[in-house]
Amino acid sequence: MFRRSFDKFSYGRAAIAAWQQLDLLLLLTVLGLTGLGGIMIRSTELNQGPDATEWWQHWIVGGVGLAIVMWLSRSRYGLLRQWHWVTYALTNICLIAVIAIGVSANGAQSWINIGSFNVQPSEFAKVGLIITLAALLHSRPASTLTSVFKVLIVALVPWVLVMLQPDLGTGLVFGAITLGMLFWANVNPGWIVLMLSPLVAALLYNLFLPGWFVWAILMGILAWCTLPMRFVGTLGAVSLNVAAGGLAGIVWGLLKPYQKDRLVLFLQPEKDPLGGGYHLIQSRIAIGAGELWGRGLNQGTQTQLNFIPEQHTDFIFSAIGEELGLVGSMAVLVGFWLICLRLVFIAMNANENFGSLLAIGTLSMIAFQAMVNISMTVGLAPITGIPLPWLSYGRSALLTNFIAIGLVESVANHRHKFQFKG
Amino acid sequence: MTDSKVKVLRPTPARKRRRRPRPQPEKPKAKILKALGKFEQSSTWQWGRLLLVWALLTGSALGLGWNLYHLQIVDSPDLVQKARQQQMVYMRPFVPRRPIVDRTGNVLATDRLVYTLYAHPKLFKESKAEMAQKLSQILERQSPEAILKKLNQRSTGIPVAYALREEVADKIVALSADGLELIRQYSRLYPQQELVADTVGYTDLEHHGQAGLEYSQQQRLERNVVTLRLNRAGNGALMPDHMPEGFLNFDDYRLQTSLDLRLQRATRFVLKQKLEEFEAKRGVVIVMDADDGAILALACEPTYNPNQYYKYEIGLFRNWAIADSYEPGSTFKPVNIALALEAGAIQPDTTIEDTGMIKIEQWEIKNHDFDSRGARGQLSLDEVLQYSSNVGMVDIIRRIPRDRYYKALQELNINQRMGIGLPGEAAGQLKSEEQFTSSFVEVATTAFGQGFALTPLKLAQLQATIANGGKLVTPHIVKGLIDAEGNYQWQPELDSPRQVFAPEHAQAVFDMMVNTVNSSSGENARIEGYRVAGKSGTAQKASPTGGYYSDLRISSFVSLLADGDRSYVVMAVVDEPKGNNAFGSVVAAPIVKSVMEALITIEEIPPADS
Repeated sequence: MFRRSFDKFSYGRAAIAAWQQLDLLLLLTVLGLTGLGGIMIRSTELNQGPDATEWWQHWIVGGVGLAIVMWLSRSRYGLLRQWHWVTYALTNICLIAVIAIGVSANGAQSWINIGSFNVQPSEFAKVGLIITLAALLHSRPASTLTSVFKVLIVALVPWVLVMLQPDLGTGLVFGAITLGMLFWANVNPGWIVLMLSPLVAALLYNLFLPGWFVWAILMGILAWCTLPMRFVGTLGAVSLNVAAGGLAGIVWGLLKPYQKDRLVLFLQPEKDPLGGGYHLIQSRIAIGAGELWGRGLNQGTQTQLNFIPEQHTDFIFSAIGEELGLVGSMAVLVGFWLICLRLVFIAMNANENFGSLLAIGTLSMIAFQAMVNISMTVGLAPITGIPLPWLSYGRSALLTNFIAIGLVESVANHRHKFQFKG
Repeated sequence: MTDSKVKVLRPTPARKRRRRPRPQPEKPKAKILKALGKFEQSSTWQWGRLLLVWALLTGSALGLGWNLYHLQIVDSPDLVQKARQQQMVYMRPFVPRRPIVDRTGNVLATDRLVYTLYAHPKLFKESKAEMAQKLSQILERQSPEAILKKLNQRSTGIPVAYALREEVADKIVALSADGLELIRQYSRLYPQQELVADTVGYTDLEHHGQAGLEYSQQQRLERNVVTLRLNRAGNGALMPDHMPEGFLNFDDYRLQTSLDLRLQRATRFVLKQKLEEFEAKRGVVIVMDADDGAILALACEPTYNPNQYYKYEIGLFRNWAIADSYEPGSTFKPVNIALALEAGAIQPDTTIEDTGMIKIEQWEIKNHDFDSRGARGQLSLDEVLQYSSNVGMVDIIRRIPRDRYYKALQELNINQRMGIGLPGEAAGQLKSEEQFTSSFVEVATTAFGQGFALTPLKLAQLQATIANGGKLVTPHIVKGLIDAEGNYQWQPELDSPRQVFAPEHAQAVFDMMVNTVNSSSGENARIEGYRVAGKSGTAQKASPTGGYYSDLRISSFVSLLADGDRSYVVMAVVDEPKGNNAFGSVVAAPIVKSVMEALITIEEIPPADS
């Protein structure tokens, strides 16, 4: 982590002295993805009339994002720890506001119009949640059930507000952030398994009934070994899993066939090729048609003929896959992997828990979104409305990701080892 | 933000780690452990935690990478194919077929826009009964009950009516009712109905020619239609790229035939009349310009209406004037005389001894009137034709060496196709050379037109040689592709006329045939003021099992007319006329006469005397 050469190089330059410890690789990767995002957004809109301005808007917001990163990274992120309740309050107020005065699009009331801008508070809420949870876990690591429950309850409020919009995608991201940060904050891993166990139980109940029994018993054993009040905990865990299975069975029975279809459609998109399966099928075709080297920028026929609706937002990866091929999509994967790598290193080298947790929260957010989004475009996951960080068009999301990176860069920039140089 | 002293509030993790007594020789490990020290936990767990994060991240990346590899390398040929299939539309723009016109430009076949009405009752905003009521008012031929019955068939995609005219379609559009669909298409229309069906033919629903010129000239009738490869966008819109320039402009060429509609009408009318009169099975009339082989009229009866071809028997679609051969009988005699003159076997003033009956090998050959008239004695060539003397003809042909006669028949291409440009043309049949030359009876029967077979049109071609001064012309019906200004853009390449008889020989035979018409046997064909040459024929029908039917005849008559450098052949062949007097001179001659009169009017041929 020592960057002597870099330090020497910047020694005489006061202007950049404030950013000495900046994680340049992280920032450059992020900027690279943003640049690529603009290019690909432009490509998807070439044949949608001359009014498509999203690609340069993407770059402008990226530029603003860069400025925010530069500003945040020389700011002391530690101050946020004292203000985390304010952050939390603001986050929730915005989420309530969006329910009260928001406008809806695509079936979810997720946007607030401010002037000519549509702001999507649920995106900024992700950073709000990261800051809040980092501050909470900094002062009290999640090694006791009380603190875990406290964190869960704190996370529950914005989660409920987001799910009310309803914005399932963001809700899932909240979950990923919370679990990731709890994990980093030394929660007993058994507890995380227990937290996720009702979901597994619900799935098993519907897919493989004996598995459901075995699972409930396993969870009981796990609860026995990990929970403080063994009898109560074990009983609770087992009954929770049993109940989850039963409840899921009831809910599943209540669902209309088309709703069931939508949930499992990604397994067999051909069942509804013109309806819910359309996106998945077309996206797969586009990526597959890209082959090794791609069809060339602005040459992808699926993309140029607009076979994939809303391709510039959630399905931007299909454009990359088609036009830049396996090489391009692998490059994007490597890009995200690099970002995650840097985030883990920053988390490890942070001065204190708060910074470390900020980095891990960001890691959870980015990694989960990238993972789910790409899985969705290649047909491995259902369509949940999760954008691909820095590549998908979406100004609020892009800004949010830059703010998160700005915070993490601040953590990197303020590593104590180099403080004497400042 | 520049205050850098705030940060050292806590002991650094690294220092904590150093306090621990565990040996950590490896540098990366030490680094990691330094990071792990932030939480009070066992270092094993710290390790595990980090490993878990790494495993998760790398595993996810590898998993996605593996999937991408599968999608973009392994499955990609299939997916590329799928992409292409859904993005490309191969389209044949619907360009109308070229019209077929007669020699004066009358339309014989053309394309018109028609509509097919489909109903989708599930989209109806009203009851099926109401809809049926409304539709039956527009589709006059269908009762509400019939329509309702159709509507009850299924919930969508019911064809209700075909080939609706534009004004009917407009009325249906004016209903502005949901659940009705009009599909526009071109349909072939034959405005002359059955008048020219024998030669023009018909097209099926897919616009493919199935008979006549529609079939044989398919290539010329179809405008050059390029198959367009268009890109289709996700919303189904066709993209304008790849569209060749001017792909919708098509030429104005028409296929011109040599038929004359007025003559054709007159021809068919009289043919039909006579067939009814003699209860004949079928008949054909051919009118040919003997100078160039252009067919001015060709009518077969019975025929069919090409607009409703599906209602007729398939046998009617073949034009038997070119597809069926028959034994021509006496109408071939003038050709034989010309052959004999050409061979130098006889001179125009040669006289023949007609014994009324001769015996060749075990066969008896008699004149048709031998039983009533007996031997006729010395006959001039004129008289041989007039009396249609079989014995006289045998005597004439006997004078030609057999092999030379056979060669001369071959020279006339009797056993070859003429290349008329209509489908299904049959070649005539000649006996083999050995059979022909080894047995004189073969030669003898050929002398009066039996024992071999040719199509009616082939006979017309041979007769034309007598009218046009000895030239074998190629009969044809297609004049070419003509543009709007009347210029030919394409013309068929015909074999150039071949001189088979010396003009004076042809003229001599022609004069003999004029005398035949002017004699008592030709009065049914005679036209006042014109030198019409003619010859009747009444042939026994050959039975497919061998031998001849005693009661089934083919009666025919051929007339020739020459005026300066114009000459014409009119020929009628009637198959199986009923009645004892159903001879060629009685059945076919009046047909030929009527047609010839019409021809004289239409071609404005002046009388010979003026």
